[in-house]
Parts: sequence; C-alpha cells; structure tokens
Amino acid sequence: MRHMPPAAKDLSPSPVTIAVDLDSSIQSLEALDAAAYRLIGTATCQIDRVANRYVCHLLASTSPQRRGVLTPDDLKERFLNLVADENLRARVAGKTEGVRNVILALAFGSLAANQKDAG
Amino acid sequence: MARFLAPEAFSAATEAISLLPFNFERTGTQQYLVANMVGDFIRLTEDEINKLIDLRATPGDGLYEKAYSAHLITGSNQQAQRQLLALRLRSRMSFLQQATPLHIFVVTLRCEHSCPYCQVSRQSTDRSRFDMSEETAMRALDIAFASPASRIKIEFQGGEPLLNFSLINTIVSTAKVRSASLGKKVDFVIASNLALLDDVVLDFCKSNDILLSTSLDGPADLHNKNRPRPGANSHELATTGIRRAREVLGPDRIGALMTTTEASLDRVDEIIDEYLQLGLDGIFLRPLSPFGFAIKTKQFQKYDAKKWLSFYERGLRRVLEINRQGTPFREFYAALILTRMLSDRPIGYVDLRSPAGIGLGALVYNYDGSVFASDEGRMLAETGDNAFRLGNVDRDTYESLVLSDKLIDAISSSLTQCAPECSTCVYESHCGADPVYHHATQGDALGIKPLSAFCARQKGIMGLLLDILENSPEDAAILRRWVS
Repeated sequence: MRHMPPAAKDLSPSPVTIAVDLDSSIQSLEALDAAAYRLIGTATCQIDRVANRYVCHLLASTSPQRRGVLTPDDLKERFLNLVADENLRARVAGKTEGVRNVILALAFGSLAANQKDAG
Repeated sequence: MARFLAPEAFSAATEAISLLPFNFERTGTQQYLVANMVGDFIRLTEDEINKLIDLRATPGDGLYEKAYSAHLITGSNQQAQRQLLALRLRSRMSFLQQATPLHIFVVTLRCEHSCPYCQVSRQSTDRSRFDMSEETAMRALDIAFASPASRIKIEFQGGEPLLNFSLINTIVSTAKVRSASLGKKVDFVIASNLALLDDVVLDFCKSNDILLSTSLDGPADLHNKNRPRPGANSHELATTGIRRAREVLGPDRIGALMTTTEASLDRVDEIIDEYLQLGLDGIFLRPLSPFGFAIKTKQFQKYDAKKWLSFYERGLRRVLEINRQGTPFREFYAALILTRMLSDRPIGYVDLRSPAGIGLGALVYNYDGSVFASDEGRMLAETGDNAFRLGNVDRDTYESLVLSDKLIDAISSSLTQCAPECSTCVYESHCGADPVYHHATQGDALGIKPLSAFCARQKGIMGLLLDILENSPEDAAILRRWVS
C-alpha cells in the first residue's frame, strides 16, 4: 500500500545537538552550570552524571535569530570556551574573596556603623 | 650631584604579590577584556591572564607593571591599593546618599496627541476623571519634601501636563514656599509636547526657572507619523515651541528626546540633522520601551536589540563626524556611560545603577494619588500590572513607600552585584539593574540576562565606545570631552 505524501514538507533545519563529556574529578559542576546559563538563548544544556563523567547534552536553539549559523563544532567550541572562562572565574573568586570583602568593608563599613549609632 | 638609586633599591616591587578582584570577558581567540573592581578596562591575552591568576607576574616583565597599574594585583602587605579601590567605589556609589531626588507628578493623563507608541496610555476625555486634584498634589508634595535628598527635582508629566497648567502653577508656588522654609532646594521640569506652549506658559517658566523637556522624533514626516494629533502638525508645534523656548528661556533651558520606531531605523542621519538645525546641543538616541500603548499597538516588537544597535552605531558615528567638522554636539546616552567608564562621579541615572533607581531614585505620583516606584512602573499599571504600585498619597508616608516590602523585594532581587552573569560581567561597574524592564519583558525583576535586550544593548554600546576609545584617537578625544 502506498502512503499518502505529507501535506507539507518540514523545512526547518534539523536541530544541532552535541554531547560534551568532562571528567568530574577535575571539572566542577558549578562552572558547567554557569556556562550553561550563559548559553541560554543560543542552546540548552542538560547535564547528566555518568560514572566519573559529566555529560553535557547541548541542543542549539531552533530560533534562527538567536542561533545564527551554528555548526556542531561551533557549538562545542563555544561551550568549552565558556566552561574554561567559568573555571578561570572560579580561580579568581577563590583567590580574591577575602580582599573583596576587605575593600567592601573599607568602602561601606562606616555606613553600617552610622546606622548602628542612629538606631 | 644627586643620583637615582639602582632599581634594586626599590624593594617594594620584590615583595610577594596578591590578586585583587576583577571581571573579564573573552573577546576573541586568546584575548580578554578585563575590568578591575571599579571598572577600569585593560586587554590581556589568555597567557597573561593565567600568569596573573597564578601570581607568576614579576617586576620588569611588563605584565606586572600593566596589572599593578590597573589595580589587578597588589603587594601582599600593601594597603594603599585596597584603600584606593574602596575610596573610588564609595565615590561611585555615593548617589545612594541622596535618596529619592526625583519626584514625578502626573498632573493629568489627558493628551491631545494619539501616539501609537505612547508608554503611558494617555486619555482624551473626561477632565474630572483623569486630572490630579489639588488635594492629591499637596499630599504628594508632603511626601516629596519628606525625602532625604537635600535637593529635589519636581517633574511634571502627563498625558500632556500643560492641559492642567493651573495645577502646575499651584504646585510650583507651594513647593517654593516649602523649599524656603525647609531649606531644601527644588528644581522644576515640565515634560511637554509643546503643542499648548504660549507666552503665559513661557513667562511662568522664565519667572520660576523651569526647564522644558520635549519630544522630537526627527523630520516632519517621521515625527508626525509617530505622533499624530488633530491637524497633523505635531512637528510644526514642537519645533516652533523649541525655537520660542530657546529665545525666551535661553538655549540651555529646553531639551528634546527622541524615540526610535521601526520607521526611524534607516533615518538616523536625518534625525540628528533635525536636532542640529534647531540649535540643540545633542541628542539622546532612545529605543522604545516595553510599556503602555507601545505593547498594545505592537510597536515594541517591530525591531530587536541588534537592529537598534546598528541604528545607534550609525547615529553615534554621525555625531562624531559632526564634532570632527567643528560643531560640538553630544549623544547623551554615550556621555552618561562614558562618565561612568572614565570617571568615579556618582551617576544616579535610573537605568544605570544597582541598587536600582526605583523608589530610591524617583517616586511617581499618578493623577489619582497612586504612588509608583518609577515612571515605567506607572506605565505598566495603565495596562493592568500593579507590580510597582507602592501605595497612595492618602494613606502613605515617604518612609512607608520606600521601606515597603514590594520595593525592597524588587531592589534586592535585581542587584547586579550578585546576579547570575551580571556579577561576573566585565561591564558590571557601568551597568544597571532595571527591574521594571525585566519584569515587563520576562515577568521577573532580575530576568535572564542572556535573553535580555537591555543587556544586549548595554554590552553593545559599551563595546562600541571602548572600540572607539582604543582605536580612533580623534574620535576618542571627542568622547573624552563628553565626560561631565
């Protein structure tokens, strides 16, 4: 029996998907989360833990306006760059949290003291 | 003869170094834009940024000197840089010490224009229903004068505020009496389309030192298309009013604002030339806001951030060209951002601050006595969303409005200093929270910044300004002159 041809052809491009896996003993989940957040609008990222790996399933946005022209390699490179940057940010934060608090206290600590005096 | 000591004698440079907080953004292959805690920018390679984080910079290697002067590293035992950063940070945020300097009185919602992009959902009829009463105005003045700012600005808005000119008259005379008795300075602005401007209004503005602010969208056909009114003569009335106000009040006592519609996108040169021909000293290239009739009539959806940025860049480059030809002329939004980027002056501009300017920067008294945290908040309310309605002049005081849970929740939940992406954004020091915009577009005061057109525009404009500052010396000199 012959099947009816479809009434309309689906012209939307097949979605760009890719899986990136990273070693969970050296890669923090926080950095992956932050990278996934920055990717919102360009792609979604679902992170699964499989044994000692984090597997990041990336699905490019279907909106051509948001996605632009994105190949699987582009998407992978973009994501890995974001992860590398988040790892760098975590290192900076780790080394500067104390001094950041000192600077904030120097800048605004007297305001808290004034408030205490007033109260 | 006195001689310099040998380099080794300057021992401070040999002590251990420690890292100071900074944000960064990847800008290309192995290239980063880096900003210190107060937003001074520097470019580093990937290798340099890694060396810095690993504290492998050493005196004489170039990176050490670059990072030290940019306040990215300091001597472990040195306090001067921390104190300097704290001082600069405190100075940049000191707008917070002058709480609520702006008080907007919506003296009527009536208007004789019928602009499809109107953000305040003007009304055309029923004077008694849409005009502010004197009683409401006096209660609003009580609240305005109770705010802690030592100098306040009262801005009259509408609808078209000159349709309730008698109330403006009463408010100004009462406010001046209170100003004298309380020792709190007060300035006045009337935001008007100038269609009703006459000699009586001009004399009143002159004798009370009142500034005028108006709308001018560009050449006649564009302006009249955007701003329809009976007689189709909005442009003629606005430009005649601007000329007349400049003559009577002085060239610096009237300013004009434009709003970008889809029809404006290809005409930025003509729009700027219109401002230039009228003798105005600059232009504020503004996108449409997602409020009021701009949403109802779908004007807001007609162009995205990318198209607007392209319009903005063409406009900014045209403005720079005008300056290169010898006529001083500014793009005011760039001037605001540049003042944040190149100085530590406290800029309390509502869209460019965190904590947000809602309530802390401005309060809006609507014609019916409702009080809103911002002008955009009352625009939302006109289409049924009361998220930023803080109370009513009949029942509330300044304290109850500013300390309301609604305001505190919106401000604290939208702080860029601790928001995802914003807190680590290289532009954070120069940006703002804008909770009303994000509430209007995403239903959340914080918003998801990768989806935010506000974020895209801010990053786009700051990236463009940095590019000009770094790569076009003649234009950079012009931009530096705009820093007020």
